[in-house]
Amino acid sequence: MTFDPSKPSLIDQPINPPEISVFEHLELLSEMGRDFASSQDIAVSLKKAVMHIAEYVGAAGGALFILDESGHNLICEACVGGIEITGLTVPSDQGVVGRSVQNHSGEIVRDVQNDPNFYNKIDQKSGFVTRSIICAPLRVKDVRIGAVELVNKRSEDGLFSDQDLHLLEAMSASAGLAIQNARQAEALVEQEVLARELELAAEIQRSLLPTARNDDFPIHGINLPARTVSGDFYDFFELEDGRICFNLGDVSGKGMNAALLMAKTASLFRCLGKTIHQPGRLMSLINNEICETASRGMFVTMIGGIFDPRSGIVRIANAGHEPALFFDPDGQCRSYEAEAPPLGITTVLADGDRYPESEFNIGQGSFYIFTDGVTEGYLSDGSELEVSGLTKILLDGRDKTPADRLADVVHAINSSKGPIRDDTTLLCLEQKIRPLGATKVGEASQNILIDDEQIEQIVSLNIPSKPDRLKLARSVVTQAASLCECSDDMVQDVVIAVDEALQNIIRHAYSNRPDGEIKVTICRSVANLIFFIQDYADQIDIKKVKPRDLSDVRPGGLGTHFIREVMDEVIFLPLPEGSGNLLKLVKRIK
Amino acid sequence: MVSFEGDVDLQTSPDVRKVLLECVGRGQSVVVDLSGIGYIDSSGVASLVEGFQTARKGGHNLVLASVSDGALRVLKLARLDKVFTICDSIEDGLVVVG
Repeated sequence: MTFDPSKPSLIDQPINPPEISVFEHLELLSEMGRDFASSQDIAVSLKKAVMHIAEYVGAAGGALFILDESGHNLICEACVGGIEITGLTVPSDQGVVGRSVQNHSGEIVRDVQNDPNFYNKIDQKSGFVTRSIICAPLRVKDVRIGAVELVNKRSEDGLFSDQDLHLLEAMSASAGLAIQNARQAEALVEQEVLARELELAAEIQRSLLPTARNDDFPIHGINLPARTVSGDFYDFFELEDGRICFNLGDVSGKGMNAALLMAKTASLFRCLGKTIHQPGRLMSLINNEICETASRGMFVTMIGGIFDPRSGIVRIANAGHEPALFFDPDGQCRSYEAEAPPLGITTVLADGDRYPESEFNIGQGSFYIFTDGVTEGYLSDGSELEVSGLTKILLDGRDKTPADRLADVVHAINSSKGPIRDDTTLLCLEQKIRPLGATKVGEASQNILIDDEQIEQIVSLNIPSKPDRLKLARSVVTQAASLCECSDDMVQDVVIAVDEALQNIIRHAYSNRPDGEIKVTICRSVANLIFFIQDYADQIDIKKVKPRDLSDVRPGGLGTHFIREVMDEVIFLPLPEGSGNLLKLVKRIK
Repeated sequence: MVSFEGDVDLQTSPDVRKVLLECVGRGQSVVVDLSGIGYIDSSGVASLVEGFQTARKGGHNLVLASVSDGALRVLKLARLDKVFTICDSIEDGLVVVG
């Protein structure tokens, strides 16, 4: 049995009730089910359903009402015959249709004009005469979906019978099920579209992470998202002068909003980091940007830094992130805690307009930055990894490559059943090379092997820690540099560097005591002029030796900046406890 | 106007600082003649900056004149070559401070 929409209005064609067979009934239900299953558009299927039902029961017109999300209104989603009322909205407790929905029962009204619930405004407007109504609720178990209402039987008197109502109720039960199935299928399709979009977002996000490098590259990272997309990130990239910028961050929250803020922060760092090489200033600029535009309550904890592979100096700024860990070759641990709030909280910083920086020499040690997903990750026994567990894995694996060591950590918290608890990200910085011949400096007139480069000693000078000996030292440095055929500018530069280094020793290491001893050894290799400057004062905290911001015009604090600016390598060499401090300065002469 | 000669380093910069602060303390702008300076270190630069800032606070100026190549190199390293007014000669400096 099919419905022909090309037929003239049903109301004008009174016909005899059709012979109803079980077969026909089943055939119709099956056809409705097929419509809903095959159609991409649920509205079209609803229209077909109401056509089938009206035709089958022999009604002049019919309308299908669906409850809106609030449940307070019934909206006509499809209608045939009679008056076009698609889109009509009625309160869900009014009209014959409202009564049917509220009572969960079929309604038959044969004396329409005297029914208190009858809504007669449409008849008044259109001139249509409603004689009889049957209405049945659409529902699946206790879930109300709406109702189907039929008007005027296509018979002489236009009145429906109880049998018509039973038929409608049977049809409505099936239609309700079909509508619910179609809705679920539609939701499933939407979910699939979302999942595809999410996967695409994850792919873009993965492309923001740096490509893994060879084992001998100093920085390695790993990121394991807890969901498809991650709020964690890390990055590193080389600058033209050979230094390497790096970062690791964690956006508050999870899911798509965290992923978007992650993408923004990572992009800002990469873009600005190419021209701004002070991590504290760089992060302050990113902070301003995020404060200006991020949605309320979202923030980013991050450690950003710059590493100079030639000097071994690492300079970092920590914005509210988990403390980073530095392990020296003996396994002793030093942590670098946050000295300022996360990015996106406030533009007012305690240290003025920038995030405070820390500086240290990587030497033969290893430096790790990680998100709380690592330390709060669950082990297979259900306990958290914690910093102690992380430390153990890193130290146990110190003979492994950094990439293998990081994989060990992830494996430990990913071995328990079920998804990982949080996004998990780690970054390792280390520069494992053969130990330098630092303690050999004192062995005068002897060639020293450093990095397979044969160097020759030019002169060695012992001076007391007195300011009036600086001129003498400058004179010796001038002569030594001239001997190596350095240009006048180059001579001037190395004189500045050595003089400033000696000043620092007199003023800071010896606290202006005149009885300290300073040893300056000047060497050369084929390509370099090298200065070893040793004192025998208490060991200084290398973290505190850092150049200051030059945009802040004030007296003092320039010496360290001068040294860094004019020399190609500046490195504190490790000495045994109580042996003083040894600074190595290198100037490329070829 | 005030002239210095020789090296300004950790040994001599306390004297330079004292003289500069005395000069700007007189309530006049100062031209600092650096033509005789062979070497100036960070402590010498710090003395110049302190003199400059004190002069500015009093509504006056501190101008550098006849800066030697060596001293200019150090000022540039400190990014101070754009902060100080640097004149080619003492006469130019005197014109600048009026």
